[in-house]
Amino acid sequence: MTPLYELNRIEHRREGRTVLAIDRLELQPGHFYALTGANGAGKSTLLHLLALLERPSGGELRFDGQTLPGSNHHLCRLRREITLVHQAPFLLAGTVADNLAFGLKLRGLPRRERNRRTLWALQTVGLGDFGERRVGRLSGGEIQRVALARALALRPRVLLLDEPSTGLDESSAAAFEGLLAGLRDQGLSLVMASHDRALVQRLGAEEIRLAEGRILGHPLADSTSHRLAVSGSSLCLNPSKMPGR
Amino acid sequence: MYFLGDSLGTALALLLNLDREVLTTVWTSLSVSFGAILAAMVVAVPLGGVIALREFPGKRLTLTLLNTLMAMPTVVVGLLIYGLLSRQGPFGEHGLLFTPAAMMLGQIVLAVPIVAHYTVAAVTGADPRILPTALTLGAGPLRAMLRIFLEVRFGLVAAVVAGFGRIIAEVGVAMMLGGNIRGYTRTMTTAIALETSKGEFAFALALGLVLMTVALLVNLFLNLLQQR
Repeated sequence: MTPLYELNRIEHRREGRTVLAIDRLELQPGHFYALTGANGAGKSTLLHLLALLERPSGGELRFDGQTLPGSNHHLCRLRREITLVHQAPFLLAGTVADNLAFGLKLRGLPRRERNRRTLWALQTVGLGDFGERRVGRLSGGEIQRVALARALALRPRVLLLDEPSTGLDESSAAAFEGLLAGLRDQGLSLVMASHDRALVQRLGAEEIRLAEGRILGHPLADSTSHRLAVSGSSLCLNPSKMPGR
Repeated sequence: MYFLGDSLGTALALLLNLDREVLTTVWTSLSVSFGAILAAMVVAVPLGGVIALREFPGKRLTLTLLNTLMAMPTVVVGLLIYGLLSRQGPFGEHGLLFTPAAMMLGQIVLAVPIVAHYTVAAVTGADPRILPTALTLGAGPLRAMLRIFLEVRFGLVAAVVAGFGRIIAEVGVAMMLGGNIRGYTRTMTTAIALETSKGEFAFALALGLVLMTVALLVNLFLNLLQQR
């Protein structure tokens, strides 16, 4: 099977300083990976490279067997297979539904399909009736969940999450874990950056430990033995099966 | 005091009676400046966006140049364009000198640096998460830039309003490139200068009142935007 990502001799520099140096890394489709490490370890930088938001300063990055195309147009097409949910997500001005519609419109989906996906994604994150709500009136936890719904509505092949449970209260975080576990069980390719190793183990993700921009260990031998099954959450998160792409 | 009071009374009477010459002059001013600001906006907003978002050699120099051009005296702009449009100039054959088109051209040159500068400020001050968010949702570079414009739309409107405020009140370009031709290129500012020198203080005052009202409305609009 073609690896989802192949990174060979990747080096990434910012302001003349090397922030990431990875000799070799392969990520397989349908797996759930967790990037762990302290602040400044390079987790977010690696996620940005995997999201194809930045080109590595050196080395080769392949996505689905393809090297990164030179033209922005082709890179944009490739990028549409991947969605990154940022640590502190930004919601575009307008309503929650406007946010979900943005990426769907860019993909040329008809209104009916956009509405269907919007409703499905919002219901999945437990915000089924939030479509018409203005984004300025959302709480931190709701913003996080709308950002996840916005990403899920696009039905990406790969979902990248940067510290997804940051800023969530206890019950929201538990519900969020349940949602991630559901997505994992559906076979969605997931890469999550987290400093919370206990969360990583509970979700049964394959851990990739980073320190000072380098990989320390991958994967943990016992990481798959602690799967989590959260159900009956008070937030009614519903990781219903993702419809076909 | 009697002189000022009488002049003010006559000026108000001219305005209330919708004096034809006053209206023509106001219309010339507004139409030229609106046309100029629309054209300047089309050039300056994308230019400001590119300067703000792209890293390129000479970026600092470009920003310094923009700041300098913002403060360029209107008569200097008038002089340069006069040189280009006069009969001996490279574009003299088009016969544009002393036409509303020539005034519009001069006002575009005045407005572009202002609108571009404020656009750079608005885009630079935008939330840095907008660009990666738009890109990760599938936007290309152009759509992502348009999304940033949409998010900072109030700043962009403020940029355009500031540019309009500058050109509606300028006199150098309108005088040198328009020639102050009655009923054709005479604007509020050039008419005020001429009528005052002729001793027609009341007429000049009437136009001054309209100009002040326009400036007031522009500033009120700007304040309203800044409060949002």
